[in-house]
Amino acid sequence: MQSETSARQWDGTLSPNDFNSSVAALCERWKEVNDSLPQWLWVPFPVVGDSSCNAAGYLTMENVYHQNASEEVSHEESILGDEELSDDATLVQSCGKDDMHVYDYHIVYSFNFRVPVLYFRGYRLDGCPLKLEDIEKDLPAYSLKGLRESKWTFMTQEDHPYLRRPWYTLHPCGTSDWMKVLFGSNAANNQPRPLHYLSAWLSVVGQAVGLRIPLGLYKSQ
Amino acid sequence: MASSSSVVSSYSSSSSDKGSGRILQFDPFQSLVDEGFWHRLSSLKLDSLGLDQSPIPLTGTPLLPSFFSLAFSVCFYAPCSHPKVSNRLTLLAESLPSDFKELQFSLERAHGNRNRCPVPGTLYNMNTFESFKALDRDSLLKKEAKKILDDIHSAKVEEDSAVLSRFFIISFADLKKWNFLHWLAFPALVVGPPAVVLNLRPAREVFNQGEAQSLSAALNEWRNSSLTTGVLYFLVSIASNSRATIRQLKDWKACQDDGQKLLFGFYDPSCRLDNPGWPLRNYLAFISLRCQDGKIQFLCYREKRGFADMGLSLVGEAVISPSKDCRDPQCVPKAVGWEPKPKSINLAESMNPERLAVSAADLNLKLMRWRTLPSLDLGTLSSVRCLLLGAGTLGCQVARMLMAWGVRKITLLDSGLVAMSNPVRQSLYTLDDCLDGGSLKAVAAARTLKRIFPAVEAEGVTLSIPMPGHPVPTNEISRVLEDCERLRDLIASHDVTFLLTDTRESRWLPALLCASENKIAITAALGFDSYLVMRHGAGPLYESDQANSLSTVDGNGGQRLGCYFCGDVVAPIDSTSNRTLDQQCTVTRPGLAPIASALAVELLVGLLHHPNGIHAPGEIANSIMSSSEQPFGILPHQIRGLLPQYSQMTLIGHASNSCTACSTTVVSEFRRRGMEFILQAIDHPTYLEDLTGLTELIESANSFKLDWVDETDDADI
Ligand SMILES: [Zn+2]
Repeated sequence: MQSETSARQWDGTLSPNDFNSSVAALCERWKEVNDSLPQWLWVPFPVVGDSSCNAAGYLTMENVYHQNASEEVSHEESILGDEELSDDATLVQSCGKDDMHVYDYHIVYSFNFRVPVLYFRGYRLDGCPLKLEDIEKDLPAYSLKGLRESKWTFMTQEDHPYLRRPWYTLHPCGTSDWMKVLFGSNAANNQPRPLHYLSAWLSVVGQAVGLRIPLGLYKSQ
Repeated sequence: MASSSSVVSSYSSSSSDKGSGRILQFDPFQSLVDEGFWHRLSSLKLDSLGLDQSPIPLTGTPLLPSFFSLAFSVCFYAPCSHPKVSNRLTLLAESLPSDFKELQFSLERAHGNRNRCPVPGTLYNMNTFESFKALDRDSLLKKEAKKILDDIHSAKVEEDSAVLSRFFIISFADLKKWNFLHWLAFPALVVGPPAVVLNLRPAREVFNQGEAQSLSAALNEWRNSSLTTGVLYFLVSIASNSRATIRQLKDWKACQDDGQKLLFGFYDPSCRLDNPGWPLRNYLAFISLRCQDGKIQFLCYREKRGFADMGLSLVGEAVISPSKDCRDPQCVPKAVGWEPKPKSINLAESMNPERLAVSAADLNLKLMRWRTLPSLDLGTLSSVRCLLLGAGTLGCQVARMLMAWGVRKITLLDSGLVAMSNPVRQSLYTLDDCLDGGSLKAVAAARTLKRIFPAVEAEGVTLSIPMPGHPVPTNEISRVLEDCERLRDLIASHDVTFLLTDTRESRWLPALLCASENKIAITAALGFDSYLVMRHGAGPLYESDQANSLSTVDGNGGQRLGCYFCGDVVAPIDSTSNRTLDQQCTVTRPGLAPIASALAVELLVGLLHHPNGIHAPGEIANSIMSSSEQPFGILPHQIRGLLPQYSQMTLIGHASNSCTACSTTVVSEFRRRGMEFILQAIDHPTYLEDLTGLTELIESANSFKLDWVDETDDADI
């Protein structure tokens, strides 16, 4: 809990080890309090030759569905013509639910900034990735307002550090500053417990990307 | 305790349930091909397989289009975990190996991931749209279905049940357009008449409370163990004391014999309460061919938030009876399972490197704006048109700095060729540009800019700038005039001109043209260890209504800022011909050009953000108008630096009435006589001095000692 930085004023960061223990704590706590979202799952990325680096990897929550009301899904003519290859035992479905958007969220530890970073992406059910404009349409008004006006959160597109493909992310350069503010004067000389840190952090970034964090996460830990 | 009656009696009696006695209909698998899969396929195709060429005829079938198939791809699924959305069978980057070692690695990582239960499959990638279209999909489906039947007969299913869900995908990857056409099939064996469903209800309604609790606990344990979480098909046996156990498929015989209630369980991706999902089809085929026919019970296992859910999971009872043919291992079964239509997905947004470079560069600048410079006007920067006169050390560096600031329209002008000595100092050239006599500098520099950042609109213009004091032979007059007009047109069609040539006199004509057109001009000049960076003032003929007619007064009423020539007491004459050789070389300390270039570009960015633009008054460091007022800090007129002292100062120099480039006299004369005036200035060394009264000034100045040192001479060396 008390890391090497506790002697001086806490700088709003989280050590790799504290990140690790906070991830485990979050996963457990999440199972107890979550009532609508999928579970978090830790995917390790072992660094060859470095067993000390337990923070390498990402915490993932996948398949968060968002029913998209506005979008008109085009059912274009199939280039090859549809063929009836099914039989009596095949349930023939009407094309519905195709306008669903799916979101994946990853929490990655930034060794440079020493803070957690949220990476996320959205896609349609045909696998087509959503553009930033599409994502913004899915966000609740308070998130949009935050993204436009807040100095805390800035959405950019960057290579996912482990998947090496472009994902959206909330840039981590302000995180340690606002984490200090979030914990206020209590934290000046006293670093918060890792789970508190990750929960508080998640409440801010979750709000920015429209992810509803269960209230119970902060209660009586 | 709830009823102690056995499971069988609790649901086999209720024959009036919905769906009883009807043909069992299965909810087809739905696929989702993640973009990562296409990323991986693309790099496989480009790097490893190298099949981006014309079709390779195969022996014996010369017209068969080339394709490759990968028999070791895998896809992933998990039990349905959402009451309204079926789980999709997903192909990810990890579905494809980048090489065999990598495949092992990714499979190991998938192993034990409860959301990614691996299923084997085959990829048939076609190299042309025509070959994709021409594929005999029916026989392909039969071929893949036959593999499943073989695995049933050979008992392989009992060892690795995932082969029952075997899939395949045909694709055509158009890597030039980042378009991926694909069609998946989940082969389902038709081994007899359709199964008849007697009963299908949520598990909660079928089991008593003790059974449901015990079963949930057993299933959660099964799913949470990394050893069993990826096992898609399993057996559920329920003892008379309501205790449920989950067992591997290979134990079916023991289960049948132990007298306990037996259900065939599987991870059901479907969310439908009236139908089981697709994996049950081949499961029933397996059960009927290997275990038992007639009446069987099955469990469609589904989850909610990662836990077994007895409300979503279904328990069913069906009658199955395989035909005699299919009991013969040699039989080729009928099969169904193609998805209704092919899908096409375009990934240019995430795969086209040019688009990625643009959005990455833009986001970087937006981040800067968000963090510290809310007034940063990226629109202005990306649309401003910059003309760089000279593509040497300064020109190369200025171009790079402009790109870094988000400037997208850059024209480089130079008449020279890339020499062997250039690449180490001039950052847009490499040795290749020096070969075969050397490329044209302007062209090579523009080419490099596009290689660095394809979205830049870079152009190279090869032209030599006419200079005063360099008399023109008669036969060249028309060419020089053409060059003059071309230069005038270029300056007129750009917003900003950078004067970055290495001689003083080559800056004269552009300075005059910028003054005449009232265009922003920025000069950077280097001495051996000193530099000068400055912005020219507004042109003398552009005054706002309240200003008087004096050419030294700015349009805003302040004193007009000077140009590069305003401080001179001599006209720009030929500075190269009467020097010794080493003086002609532009010898400067290598660090100077990057410093001066960076300052020149920063100065422009500040100017573009100033409300008065070209008319902005000069500011000097520590003046009252300090950096607190403008987000970019002060906007100086001139910056001079001395490397030996590591010092730098900001200066203001006002426009001179006798300037040979920007005074009213000179600009008006140019306006009146045009090119004739230019030719005269080029041919007659003292014409400009006579015109502006400089000759007179020099004579009078000889009697005084000037109290400032003209640094501009060494600025040109
Ligand atoms: Zn001047």
